[in-house]
Amino acid sequence: MNLIRKHCAHMGSVLALSSNPGHQNWPFSKDHLPSRWDAHPAHWDRPPRWERRDGRLPNPGSFHSLHRSCKDVFPHQIEGVKMIINKTLSSFFKVSHTLHLSAVSPSYYRFHVEHLQSDDYSKDKDAPALIGEMDSSGSLNAHALLHLTERVRARTVFQTQQSQFVTWQFETEYRGSDFTAAVTVANPDILRESVILVAHFLQSVSSGLVLGGELVYHRGRAEEGGILTLAGQYSGPNWVATLNAGKGGAHASYYHRANKQIQVGVEFEASTRTQETTASFGYQMDLPEANMVFRGMINSRCIIGGVLEKRLTPLPATLIMGAFVNHKGDKLQVGLGVNVG
Amino acid sequence: MASVEELSPASGPVSARLREDEIDDDEDEDLDETLVERLWGLTEMFPDTVRTAAETSAQCSVSVLKKFYSFSRSALWVGTTSFMILVLPVVFETERLQLEQQQLQQQRQILLGPNTAMSGGMPGMMPAAPSIGKV
Repeated sequence: MNLIRKHCAHMGSVLALSSNPGHQNWPFSKDHLPSRWDAHPAHWDRPPRWERRDGRLPNPGSFHSLHRSCKDVFPHQIEGVKMIINKTLSSFFKVSHTLHLSAVSPSYYRFHVEHLQSDDYSKDKDAPALIGEMDSSGSLNAHALLHLTERVRARTVFQTQQSQFVTWQFETEYRGSDFTAAVTVANPDILRESVILVAHFLQSVSSGLVLGGELVYHRGRAEEGGILTLAGQYSGPNWVATLNAGKGGAHASYYHRANKQIQVGVEFEASTRTQETTASFGYQMDLPEANMVFRGMINSRCIIGGVLEKRLTPLPATLIMGAFVNHKGDKLQVGLGVNVG
Repeated sequence: MASVEELSPASGPVSARLREDEIDDDEDEDLDETLVERLWGLTEMFPDTVRTAAETSAQCSVSVLKKFYSFSRSALWVGTTSFMILVLPVVFETERLQLEQQQLQQQRQILLGPNTAMSGGMPGMMPAAPSIGKV
């Protein structure tokens, strides 16, 4: 059971890699190129579902992005001093160097390379891409996203910890007109006879409602088991409510866009394995005139956190300052970062 | 008869001495007892129920006061630090932006004359910010 949770966490972290460090916008018309700070009234990574096009239901997107609009409102925990230098070598190639000095974990230098097969920055995140990341300790993180046909996409992920392979997974996704089906094979090991199979299915039922499920089957030498999770998402003009419920726990989230500047997210997680429930409240304030974005969150574990991103306008640099305080244990985590380019 | 003789003035000094001793003993007792003990002794005139009720209510109120004091201490700390982390950066930035916009408006007013100064003339003014004082 621990193995399956570890792999699910790995898959989650793996997907976090493919999202940009900033927060991207879905262009409603490809005529204008939205700047980083000019977000559409609702934050989606696919067209909003309430808009019927040609009278048919739109595609629901991938299973992993069900909770994404709510999760993007919450601040990421940053620790130590981080410097990220992004360079765009050409319209396809992007390179970034990261230096992280940390008090609790070993410091590292990381080299990140992206080859996007589309030259439009505002394009869908699932555009075909090759992404590679290499650490100063020798850890590799590689993603390949390929569009095999117009409707079929394949994704491959390799992750190593120094010289040992931690994750190797292969995913195939089929995007139909109003449904999405995906199959993932994670860590297939012939020698140890272990594998984790994940199947996702999402169906647009009505203009605002998406229903689906996830089936995880894991097999090891000693154990074998399957977990079924049902998912549903209902969205309105400026809000989204999502629920995942299964034997392993429940995860409910609500995202609301109050106005052009304020977005709010509420999340509730319950896990049967750790017998813990957590409720979180997060908000995001965009002030493009002041060139800043502030994200704050407060937790039922008595953790509060705030992260401020400020664009230093004449320079192409962003300053990121964040602090997380655990009131119960009286602990503090402070982070400072600079993004150049 | 003996009692009458005892009561006669002839037996005066003995009884007087006795009374003096008694008075001395009384005064000694008064000097040994402190003020607090004497006041405490006064409470013995109340019945038991009243005494126990007063005792428990006093203890309860003391413990409630202690808990309230420690709760208000920690609540004040948690509230102040949370406000500092969650709200203060946004307040700083919005105030700075307001001051900058005010300055710009003033400059425009000085440069172009008082009629051209407009409140809310800058595009994208924040609806949530309090209204600018000068018009």
